[in-house]
Amino acid sequence: MQRFLQFIAALTLFLSLSPLVAQETCSYQMSGYVLDEHDQTPLSGSKIYLQDGSKVAYVDSSGYYHIDGLCKGTYIFYCKHFGCDAVRQAVKITSNTTHNFYPEHHIDFEAVKVKGQKTEEELSLSKRKLSMRDKNEVKGLSLGDGLSKLNGVTTLTTGNNISKPVIHGLHSNRILILNNGIRQEGQQWGNEHAPEIDPFIADEIAVVKGANSVRYGPDAIGGVVLVNPKELKKTPGITAELNLVGLSNGRQGNASVAINGCLSKLKPLRWRIQGTLKQGGNVKTPSHYLKNTGVKEYNFSYAIGYIKPKYGIDFFYSQFNTDIGIFSASHFGNLTDLEKAFNAEEPLESANFTYEINRPRQHIEHELFRTKAFLAAKKRGKLSLTYARQYNKRLEYDKHPPLNDSLANLNLPALQFELTTHTGELIWESVRRKTLKGKIGITALHQGNTYNGRFFIPNFQKIGTGVFWIENWKPKTTKIEIESGIRFDRIYQRIFMRKGDDIVSPAHNYQNLSGTLGAIYKPNTNLVIRSNLGSAWRPPNVNELYSDGLHHGAAAIERGDSTLVTEKAVNLSSSVEYNGKNLSIVFDAYYKVINDFIYLKPTLEPTLTIKGAFPTFMHDQVNAHLRGFDLTVDFAITSRLSFVSKTMILRAYNRTENEHLVMMPADRFENSLEYNFQDRGRIKNTYVSISSCSVLQQRRVPQNSDYVAPPEGYTLLNLSAGMDIRTKNTTIALGIGINNLLNTRYRDYMNRFRYFSDEMGRNISIRATIPMTLFTPKSSNNN
Amino acid sequence: MKTTIKFGLVCMVALASCKKDADLVEVPPPVGNEVEVITTMTLLFSDDAGINPDVTATFRDPDGDGGLDYDIFDTIRLMNNTTYNTSILLLNETVSPADTISNEVLDEDDEHFFCFTPSLANLSIVRTDSDGMYEVGLQSQWTTGNAENGTTQIVLKHQPGVKDGTCAPGETDIDVTFVTEVQ
Repeated sequence: MQRFLQFIAALTLFLSLSPLVAQETCSYQMSGYVLDEHDQTPLSGSKIYLQDGSKVAYVDSSGYYHIDGLCKGTYIFYCKHFGCDAVRQAVKITSNTTHNFYPEHHIDFEAVKVKGQKTEEELSLSKRKLSMRDKNEVKGLSLGDGLSKLNGVTTLTTGNNISKPVIHGLHSNRILILNNGIRQEGQQWGNEHAPEIDPFIADEIAVVKGANSVRYGPDAIGGVVLVNPKELKKTPGITAELNLVGLSNGRQGNASVAINGCLSKLKPLRWRIQGTLKQGGNVKTPSHYLKNTGVKEYNFSYAIGYIKPKYGIDFFYSQFNTDIGIFSASHFGNLTDLEKAFNAEEPLESANFTYEINRPRQHIEHELFRTKAFLAAKKRGKLSLTYARQYNKRLEYDKHPPLNDSLANLNLPALQFELTTHTGELIWESVRRKTLKGKIGITALHQGNTYNGRFFIPNFQKIGTGVFWIENWKPKTTKIEIESGIRFDRIYQRIFMRKGDDIVSPAHNYQNLSGTLGAIYKPNTNLVIRSNLGSAWRPPNVNELYSDGLHHGAAAIERGDSTLVTEKAVNLSSSVEYNGKNLSIVFDAYYKVINDFIYLKPTLEPTLTIKGAFPTFMHDQVNAHLRGFDLTVDFAITSRLSFVSKTMILRAYNRTENEHLVMMPADRFENSLEYNFQDRGRIKNTYVSISSCSVLQQRRVPQNSDYVAPPEGYTLLNLSAGMDIRTKNTTIALGIGINNLLNTRYRDYMNRFRYFSDEMGRNISIRATIPMTLFTPKSSNNN
Repeated sequence: MKTTIKFGLVCMVALASCKKDADLVEVPPPVGNEVEVITTMTLLFSDDAGINPDVTATFRDPDGDGGLDYDIFDTIRLMNNTTYNTSILLLNETVSPADTISNEVLDEDDEHFFCFTPSLANLSIVRTDSDGMYEVGLQSQWTTGNAENGTTQIVLKHQPGVKDGTCAPGETDIDVTFVTEVQ
């Protein structure tokens, strides 16, 4: 470890000694990437040139280009991509410049779009996505941890391996995760049930903040997480990308490979296979190892598509498998044990490093099969049909097997859920004609859940249908764009439960009308203002209706209430994005009113069991509001040095009981300084960034809702650095990050294990992304 | 035509890899299926001198934690100045016939330890059985003094690999506090 740090220090020193100033005239460089405008795919085989032909640069397989010998002044560059019109762009050179090109792509459906129309759908809600750099830096982390790079998104964790995204204080069934366009359907109601998605598949990781039921259906009360893989390769040839990530804490290794192909003889046929392996062992707090905190993951996916401009079909299949060790000292028999664990200075069970995963543990499998077909009619629109099937299997093993030997020998999980979901969607999207552009669709869902072992939620069947219609109005002459939509949903849910010797199967019907109205105003090219008023809803989840039992991790009895009604939210959100020369500001503010907000309310009477008395919680409904803002300020101090500041403030209030809502993220401030080095020879885009993240103590909590007061606030220092190295055929991206640089001992309010363990100590990560061209047909890319 | 064949091939490959559907929910599995819970603890007292009548005291929560509340929660009523030999019976009554969990505890007595904490000044309780190294507590001797009232807490600790003859290590499997009357 010591030697490793020395190496990093040396590297940093070496890079900082490189000449920073004093450029002679006509020795400036310009470099950057050529990317597909809407999916950020590198467009290899493009060329960048000056009109007079005095400078020409070819783009390598990672999309990178590089021109040197430029003088101060403004140049007109042309970027030409195979099969596309050349893009003309003026670039002012005053120093070494980074500039990305986004040539117009006309191979696919874009071909039928009206000229001048942007590919990316504009939303009146703010959509924030991980930048290329952030995406690199979060490689090896879980989806939840990766998303928390976005301002306004935090995590709800259970130890170090289970991490759920929280958008503006809401999580689980109040946010929706769209994996490749499909609603992720796992057992997401549980706090210790993390999204079953391999982040290495994702090329785009984004969050739409704010209530958005109209477009995405029920549950999208807090927001929507979008996880999209790369589009299938459009140009003939075979390319691959290898990602390697190592993390020092837990000695975790990740390897992920994706191979993309497109046939030169049958260009519409495109494919990809991808797989990820991950293994980590016990993690360490600043003072000791945490027993049984290893993780193992093995995932693969493939996609194949036959895509022509006017029609196409694609198939996607992915499998996610994981084994997660649950920190041993978090499992206890009763409240006395829990109290003993609170008061212990160090966890009651000590451990050394091991990769072995023992009880208590979880085993989770998630399978997604999706197929999407489309028909596009020129100047009219596009009709698309999507079908998906998901299968989720969750096995939870208690700390100890049953005492009865014959039962113990079966080695059955204490709890097993199997959830199968079929979803379908038919959508007609019209091309903008004059001022209006619309989208109309119907959606359907069928779901079945079965359990085995200890009762926590019953078996059920769920059928949901919805229709929606969204219009977008934008006259050519105005700077304003207005969107509006309406949706109707129905959900039928039937429960199957045993009561004594009888089977009872109550049924529930829920329906809801949701609407949205929003505007986007662009007074000039530097400024975008968005505002949206929208509604969202969700039916009560089965655990909220029928759970009845001891929650072992929480040492509490949780009881459902079958008379709960739907939760309804109205959300007003506004955002301002300013993009100036040296300063950019992103400000997202929201005010959300949630009626019939379902939460666990402590009851006065504890429940007496053979293990002693347990605090008891009932699912109850109140009216609540949440308001706050996320502010990001990015200021370029010099052309190389920049300062980024992120602020996240949230207030969540229970208006019925006049108290704060429980388990809401505390205010958070993050400041970072980033230095970008001058490109040297084959080494490009080198940067070093140091950031401090401060989380305040959460003081806004209801009385008597928790065993101990929320942990104190903390400040962490993090360091990250990265560079791209150009080799003959490709550009390798390398990076290093150190989280919790000072090995600070802290606990976080949003970690359910805050009662008995500190958070992870220092964690050093190194990563490499290696794109490769495996095969290029001879007869292409000669433009 | 060729593409149609390729299409079909792709579809077949895509569909073949799916796992078994579990969505046809017809009949739920029986509750308590392969789940081990302790529903019942019964204390059996017999007078060492054979004079006073036997006494039993039971705590029973027939469906385990959650669900319905306990249905039997007896008071321990003992005679004064008497020595009782006491044994503990543990049952899982969610299955039929009931599973005698105390036999399993006996099988794994080196992982289990009963702790008795009476609040009565003159009641003394000692464990009389052993796993070979440490006491267990399935069998114990209760010696009463003069008449008095109070409570007795009985805790069963599960201590795999960490048993040291004290109540501190391990997890709590049982924790019941009986009202106790010495008459």
